Amino acid sequence: MVLALQGAAVAATKKPSAPGETERLQAKSPLMRALGASVAALPAYQGALADAPPEFTEVGLRYSRYSEDNLGSDKLIAGSRERYDIDVTQLWIEAPVGSSWSIALDVQNDYMSGASPWFVGTTVEGQPGVIMSGASIQDNRVEVGVTTRYFWADGNAGFNVSHSKEDDYEALALSFDVAWNSADNARTWSLSASNSDDKVVPVDGNIPVFIDREDLDTQSAYFGVSQILSRTAIVRVGLSYTLSDGYLSDPYKLFDQRPDRHRRSALSAGYRKFFTEAQGALQFDYRFYTDDWGTDSHTVEVAWHQNFNRTTLMPYLRYYSQSEADFFGVTADLNADYYADDYRLSSYGAFTAGLRGTVQIGDWQLEGQLERYESDNKWGLYSGEAAPALVDFWRATVGITWRFD
Amino acid sequence: MKNLSILTVLTLSLLSGCAGIEPVPAWERGYLADEGMQWQATAREAKLEGHVYTSKEASTGGAGAAGGGCGCN
Repeated sequence: MVLALQGAAVAATKKPSAPGETERLQAKSPLMRALGASVAALPAYQGALADAPPEFTEVGLRYSRYSEDNLGSDKLIAGSRERYDIDVTQLWIEAPVGSSWSIALDVQNDYMSGASPWFVGTTVEGQPGVIMSGASIQDNRVEVGVTTRYFWADGNAGFNVSHSKEDDYEALALSFDVAWNSADNARTWSLSASNSDDKVVPVDGNIPVFIDREDLDTQSAYFGVSQILSRTAIVRVGLSYTLSDGYLSDPYKLFDQRPDRHRRSALSAGYRKFFTEAQGALQFDYRFYTDDWGTDSHTVEVAWHQNFNRTTLMPYLRYYSQSEADFFGVTADLNADYYADDYRLSSYGAFTAGLRGTVQIGDWQLEGQLERYESDNKWGLYSGEAAPALVDFWRATVGITWRFD
Repeated sequence: MKNLSILTVLTLSLLSGCAGIEPVPAWERGYLADEGMQWQATAREAKLEGHVYTSKEASTGGAGAAGGGCGCN
């Protein structure tokens, strides 16, 4: 499941200006000096946060490479050690339409190759080991989405439709979101809802599958509020609820029998603080997640966003820990009603460390990002046996964006 | 769900406390518009990040309504 594209229409509202530009403008202009920092900062605020369509058309292209580490030879019983590599290309155009509307078109292509865990067995030493699929799995996913957004004085509302198609999976999703501001514009309420109709049509490859076609329906809702705390601090909290009905097992795993209903809830909170002398912002985000399969999780993210002249750098850290699902077993218990040996349902902890940077050159913006994800049962907050197929991966992204009148 | 209920009550209590915050005039909100003060780096980065984590971890949600599915999870 992917998150509905939100905030896309307002992303191009503000034509980027170099950090510190306001201060330089003040230094050069007697009028600006007279008016002071507050007024000098006003255009930036108006551009970025006002409920108005984007002032510029934006065209962008991003390429990301996602690459999982090979499975350790001590954890492999049979099959390929190679795991997934995914090439992701994102292309979009976003433009104002009239005085109150915007429209965005997003196209994303994912090309995936590699192998995945088929089931977990026991080695001759009595340890759990993974039987992998062959290394010849290849799949291509294309997702096309259109978002329209309407702006009025105190808020904006967006409608998105997206279609995702790959060899063995198809999804049609609709989503609606609305945000409105309090009278003093210090508090913003957000509400969104989505529906996705998915079809699973597994392809017989180098491992057998046992279903022809299954359906999955998912509805989701989110409610959140952000509050300006001071001229340099803002906080946000939100609640989300997702209900899935239908086929939720993994057809490419031999021992995977999950309930056909999944209720998921998450409480999230975020905090941003700008440090004026350092010209940087501290970012803190937390999420608590719980579901009716018995999984709870905590996610904490901390980042520092540093402004330079026409460059930004943002190192970030993320910690994640989840408890195992009720029906998870390192080796599946086939006598139970529900069972799975999928490592993604096991108890573990994971760290992500990354660095993101942007460079502004005229109307063009270049971006780059690199992150490393490592997971381990010992790093988790919850007890539970270690799954042998836990994943570590690299993700790298480069992108270019052009904004024009 | 019990944990979530407790956290929700705590959150709502914090929110109600926000009612006493001194309003910040519009002309003093320049720093709030800085790129580093936004909730996500970009919409596309947020989408990709959500896609990766949702397909590799058991958790989802927290940043908006879920969108369409994919065969990756």
